[in-house]
Amino acid sequence: MNLQNLLSRSQIIKSIRRFFDERGYTEIHTPRLVGLPGQEPHLEPMWTTVKVLSSGNWELGTGNCELPAALITSPEYAMKRLLAAGMDKIYDLGSCFRNNEPWDGTHDPEFLMLEWYRKNLTAEASAKAGADLFLLMDETEEMIRFVCHSRAGGNPEWAQAPFRRISVEDAWREYLGVELTPLLDDLEGMKKLAVSLGQTVDEYDSWDDLYFKIFLTHIEPKICPSDPNHELRTTNYQPTFLYRYPASMAALARRSADDPRYAERVELYVGGLELANGFVELADAEEQRKRFEAEQALRQKLGKKTWPLDEKFLADLPMMGNAVGVAFGVDRLAMLLTGAKSINDVVSFSARERFVSRTE
Amino acid sequence: MSSPNDIKKGVVILQNGDPWVVTEFQHINPGKGAAFVRTRIKNLKSGKTLEQTYKVSETITIVEVEYRNMQYLYHDATGYNFMDSGTYEQFSMSDEDVGDQGKYIRDGLEVTLTMYEGRPIALQLPKKMNFKIVETMPAVKGDTASGNVTKEAKTDVGFIVNVPIFLKEGEEIVVNTDTGEYVERA
Repeated sequence: MNLQNLLSRSQIIKSIRRFFDERGYTEIHTPRLVGLPGQEPHLEPMWTTVKVLSSGNWELGTGNCELPAALITSPEYAMKRLLAAGMDKIYDLGSCFRNNEPWDGTHDPEFLMLEWYRKNLTAEASAKAGADLFLLMDETEEMIRFVCHSRAGGNPEWAQAPFRRISVEDAWREYLGVELTPLLDDLEGMKKLAVSLGQTVDEYDSWDDLYFKIFLTHIEPKICPSDPNHELRTTNYQPTFLYRYPASMAALARRSADDPRYAERVELYVGGLELANGFVELADAEEQRKRFEAEQALRQKLGKKTWPLDEKFLADLPMMGNAVGVAFGVDRLAMLLTGAKSINDVVSFSARERFVSRTE
Repeated sequence: MSSPNDIKKGVVILQNGDPWVVTEFQHINPGKGAAFVRTRIKNLKSGKTLEQTYKVSETITIVEVEYRNMQYLYHDATGYNFMDSGTYEQFSMSDEDVGDQGKYIRDGLEVTLTMYEGRPIALQLPKKMNFKIVETMPAVKGDTASGNVTKEAKTDVGFIVNVPIFLKEGEEIVVNTDTGEYVERA
């Protein structure tokens, strides 16, 4: 526990709220406990049971009723349904929960997530390829700069210069000398490339797995340098937006207009941390259903729990219109601004303190 | 057959017929991706190093190694020299193999060496070690108000560590040798 950092964290959260409030956003508190959580194949929700007396609730049948429930891994579905219902410019600042992630100083099973969404973007912006994505990067950058300027501790050097923006395709070319686009539908070609780079490859490796083995080894450490001892403050801090991902890695994003094998997703890296993930949101319910079914099938293949698709979400999606949204890790921003090396130093009680009773 | 989840510093992996020792590792869950372990490994025959990322669900072959408790004796042109206090056998590790951990080592320190085919390939320090602060700036009034909660301090073995501003020269502190961070007053 670090009281100084907790005070800084509180200031940071206040500044975030002020930024969005001043821009005409509305803060929404979407439910933490839901029946159908997000089903990204590699995220694991925390499950529990909601017990309810059925008396008076005819749809529950008779007697006591028990319903499966989970803590959200992200408020995304609820936020998009609110857009579909007619809201615009909304943000949610609250805890999200993800099970089975390492306690490595950058993760906690409960973390503070900021998500914001807006729609009805200007017609000119939407007509130009990739413009919505740039609008989203602009707003993310402005928000971080606003928070930095509001801090008593001063504006860190890394936040002063414009943030770098590089497409996934350009990053592969620049750091690896490889053209990614011809490899997008070429599993064998990806395998050959991985082997030539010294990676282990087996028959179970999907295209995405191979992409990550290469990306995490040869590209991410260069765009997002961090010392192996999680020494965050030693190297290059230049914030970098990496954008336009292979479509398979962006289940909720719209495909790029000029090449449908890519999708309009962006990630922000600062000082060795993945800070934000944004999408130009997919509003095509049929396409969304196909991607959800593919995710469900992958969960099954990986031996993971599956649950029904969120039909209410799918029914609402076509009404959402053209929207962009960003998910942003507030604890990690607090780490960067306080210089804390671990998420444990910016939360009041670390996971280890909460769940491990043994004292050293 | 083992899982990449068992990867730690000093673990030896058999890959393409060669033994490779893990010198650095980091668990990574990329957004929307599976879980991976990013490593730096060193070929124990050729000395070549490689950066490599394993998917947590793949299988790897981890080779049995021997761990021996040793005492640090001295540093010379060959690097760091250790002695098995039971057998009096002496072993040497190069500066490169010891790496950044070398800054914590002092005469007489008890360490664990990972042995592969009779030679040391990795060094394990005590997780927590005590050091004395020999040089640091005194705390200045107003430091905490301007957001300074830590300052640099030089220890008796020479490395610099960030410590809370209330600590003074001559005080003993505990440092976590895994993270290089100050833990508490000794």
